[in-house]
Amino acid sequence: MGTTNIVLCGLGGQGILFMTRVLAEAALDRGLNLMCAETHGMAQRGGSVVSHLRIGDVKGSLVQEGTAHLVMALEENEGYRNLPFLAEGAGFYVNADSRRFPREGLVPFFEKKGIRFRSVDAGELAMEIGAPMSLNLALLGFFAAFGDGPLSHEEIRGTVGKITSSRLREINLRLFDAGFERGSAAAEGRGGQYGNE
Amino acid sequence: MEREEIVLGNGAIAMGLVESGCRILTSYPGTPSSEILPEVVRRVKAEGLNTYIEWSTNEKVALDNAFAAAVAGKRSACCMKQVGLNVAADSLMSAAYIGNIGGLLIISCDDPGPHSSQTEQDTRFMARLAKVPVLDPADPQEAREMVKFGMDLSEEFQIPVVLRPAIRVCHARQNISPGPIKISEQKASFEKNPSRWAATPKFRLKLHGELNLKLKQIGERFSSARQFNFHNLEQGSHYTLGIVAGGVPSAVIRDILAEEGRDDIPLLKIGTPFPFPDALADEFASACDKLLVIEETDALIEYLLRDRNKVMGRLTGHVPEQGELVPEVIYGIMRRVLKDLGLKPFLKKEDRDVKELVNGLGLPVRRPSLCPGCPHRASFYAIRKASPKAIFTSDIGCYTLGLNLGGVDTCLDMGAAITMASGFYHAFSQDEKKQPIVATIGDSTFFHSGTAGLLNAVYNNARFVLVILDNEITAMTGMQPTPGIGIRADGTEARPISLERVTKGCGVDFVEVVDPYDLKGMNDTLKKAFAYTEAEDGGIAVIIARHPCVINNRENAIPERIRVRVTDDCTSCSFCLERFECPALYYDDDLGRVNVNRAICADCGLCIQVCPQNAIVEVKEL
Repeated sequence: MGTTNIVLCGLGGQGILFMTRVLAEAALDRGLNLMCAETHGMAQRGGSVVSHLRIGDVKGSLVQEGTAHLVMALEENEGYRNLPFLAEGAGFYVNADSRRFPREGLVPFFEKKGIRFRSVDAGELAMEIGAPMSLNLALLGFFAAFGDGPLSHEEIRGTVGKITSSRLREINLRLFDAGFERGSAAAEGRGGQYGNE
Repeated sequence: MEREEIVLGNGAIAMGLVESGCRILTSYPGTPSSEILPEVVRRVKAEGLNTYIEWSTNEKVALDNAFAAAVAGKRSACCMKQVGLNVAADSLMSAAYIGNIGGLLIISCDDPGPHSSQTEQDTRFMARLAKVPVLDPADPQEAREMVKFGMDLSEEFQIPVVLRPAIRVCHARQNISPGPIKISEQKASFEKNPSRWAATPKFRLKLHGELNLKLKQIGERFSSARQFNFHNLEQGSHYTLGIVAGGVPSAVIRDILAEEGRDDIPLLKIGTPFPFPDALADEFASACDKLLVIEETDALIEYLLRDRNKVMGRLTGHVPEQGELVPEVIYGIMRRVLKDLGLKPFLKKEDRDVKELVNGLGLPVRRPSLCPGCPHRASFYAIRKASPKAIFTSDIGCYTLGLNLGGVDTCLDMGAAITMASGFYHAFSQDEKKQPIVATIGDSTFFHSGTAGLLNAVYNNARFVLVILDNEITAMTGMQPTPGIGIRADGTEARPISLERVTKGCGVDFVEVVDPYDLKGMNDTLKKAFAYTEAEDGGIAVIIARHPCVINNRENAIPERIRVRVTDDCTSCSFCLERFECPALYYDDDLGRVNVNRAICADCGLCIQVCPQNAIVEVKEL
């Protein structure tokens, strides 16, 4: 298998490190090698936070611009800030109001590069379920519905259940499943909450 | 086989320390080094090992302590961030001459970027200056191996060894298998030998000679340390271009050359840049017409290669002289050099369009800011209100973000809030000008290097208000205990040090403790303090603004939750947004006034005291 480069981004406190950890642990369970790069320190105080995850036999932890197979954004503008990472044919998964996504002027860029862009209102889902701080799980569930990248829905969901503390397991899985349901509906053409497929 | 773990680079370093038989560990927190010590604590507890671990008050204190333990024969280590090594430099330079008995590993973590530091300085140059070996890992697994190698080397040659992991090692994660732990039974002993342990200049000359001999031998050893230093030359081949790289850039370059399928460009990877593995480098250089050197953060390997005609790098303008060498930067450097030398170009083209597209989106600039509910925000608000014309000297910590509130004018180094305040005072008073000055410093930073400056300022009759922002934790670096709170690195109880007693002991007569959440009380105390600094028989006034960090101790920081809302009395005057700068307050375009972001509001209620229109009110029914 070749390398899969993933860029995860958002704001400090949105749970990017946890989301990265879920994907990394799922990859490790599959017996794959991986490298991640994380943001710590001052930027965590409300600034832009990015983490890189590379699955495969790589030496460096950072994804090179133009080579990410997946960019996942917990905040829409942070997603746009990281557009330079997208490779041709990459997947772009964003927590955003689907009625307004993507913002004006970007569709030609996505189409030129063959980028699959998809959004889910993960913040709203998380609010509905009563765990506004766990929107990362909703986006992860949504992403898992598309079978994009090397990890299956079962592998990702299983890892969420395995590495979440027992206190949060039920609510996290509920959010993950709610995101997955939105994603499945979109993938099957129900609901239409996705981009150009 | 045991299941591999996904380990943070700093966790891998901690693994290496435990596996190497390290018995004494000292540290002062600083990004990107802060997670090493807590990871060692966790592993030592899990294994039931007898390892002494302390958060020291500063890096010099940490290194002196570790050095003494190593003199007593114990394997010891000391970790810090790169600017921390400046504080410990006095200790390092001398320790290099004297040497140690048990292994002594100094871990100094660099921050190319810089992401969270005052400078982009290169620890490898500090090691070169001190004349001690330095190891430069490319990834977490190599860092862990280098810890063990460095500890053995230090003990064999009786010389301190520096490990320099850069931030992309410290904060990388990698899958790693656990390894066997070396149990060191070495008992402490001290053999008196004043000509070494208390060497006078005459003996120092002799020690310097011995140090130079050690370095020569270690340089030869490094040429054969093929686990860290290696190249992929084909025997008998000659190349137009070879790349020499160390540390994190070497990992990036290996990926790039593999992805581009470039067997025509050999790589010499150097993990031990000083003392330089001359024999290995000569072997590589003689097979290449040109050498491109890519290293972080400065140009050490480039200097040590000593070939003006062959070497391209920072000194020749081929590599940027500042900023992190992220993959796309390295790719660009290599692409340009290939073009200059007429070699086959890389496969990927530079995509300028996407950069322009993103720049054209007008994305919000995100600056870090103090957390909602942070007591420092209250302090800065009150300080600026009490004395808007003052010079605000400040220091290193979360509270440097007080600059967003106009409450921070200077930030130099640890402790400089106080020393720059006295410096400003003397500069202005020489001209007989009354210039109010307010210094702000955190509790941990005050313990780190506040007292010497305060003693000096009191003794030399400087006048300023010193506000010690006491949030009872070292917050910025991830909540390490300070000497003020009575908890040690391993969680056991300690004898807490009172800031009141320390400042009084430094000769300050005006010491008052205030809770900054009481904005009026804070304001009144500040006024009293200013009056005291101006009184003939006055002096320096110290205010200890004490309130727990809202992240570390939420229950005590916000004992009573006050839920707020903004009424239609809001005139959009922006006073709260600019002068209080709470991330939970924002201008709501739809409402045409300020609003509260409920998802992040800490319910501290402080903004009620701030709004000039009284348009922020408590929501009574919850």
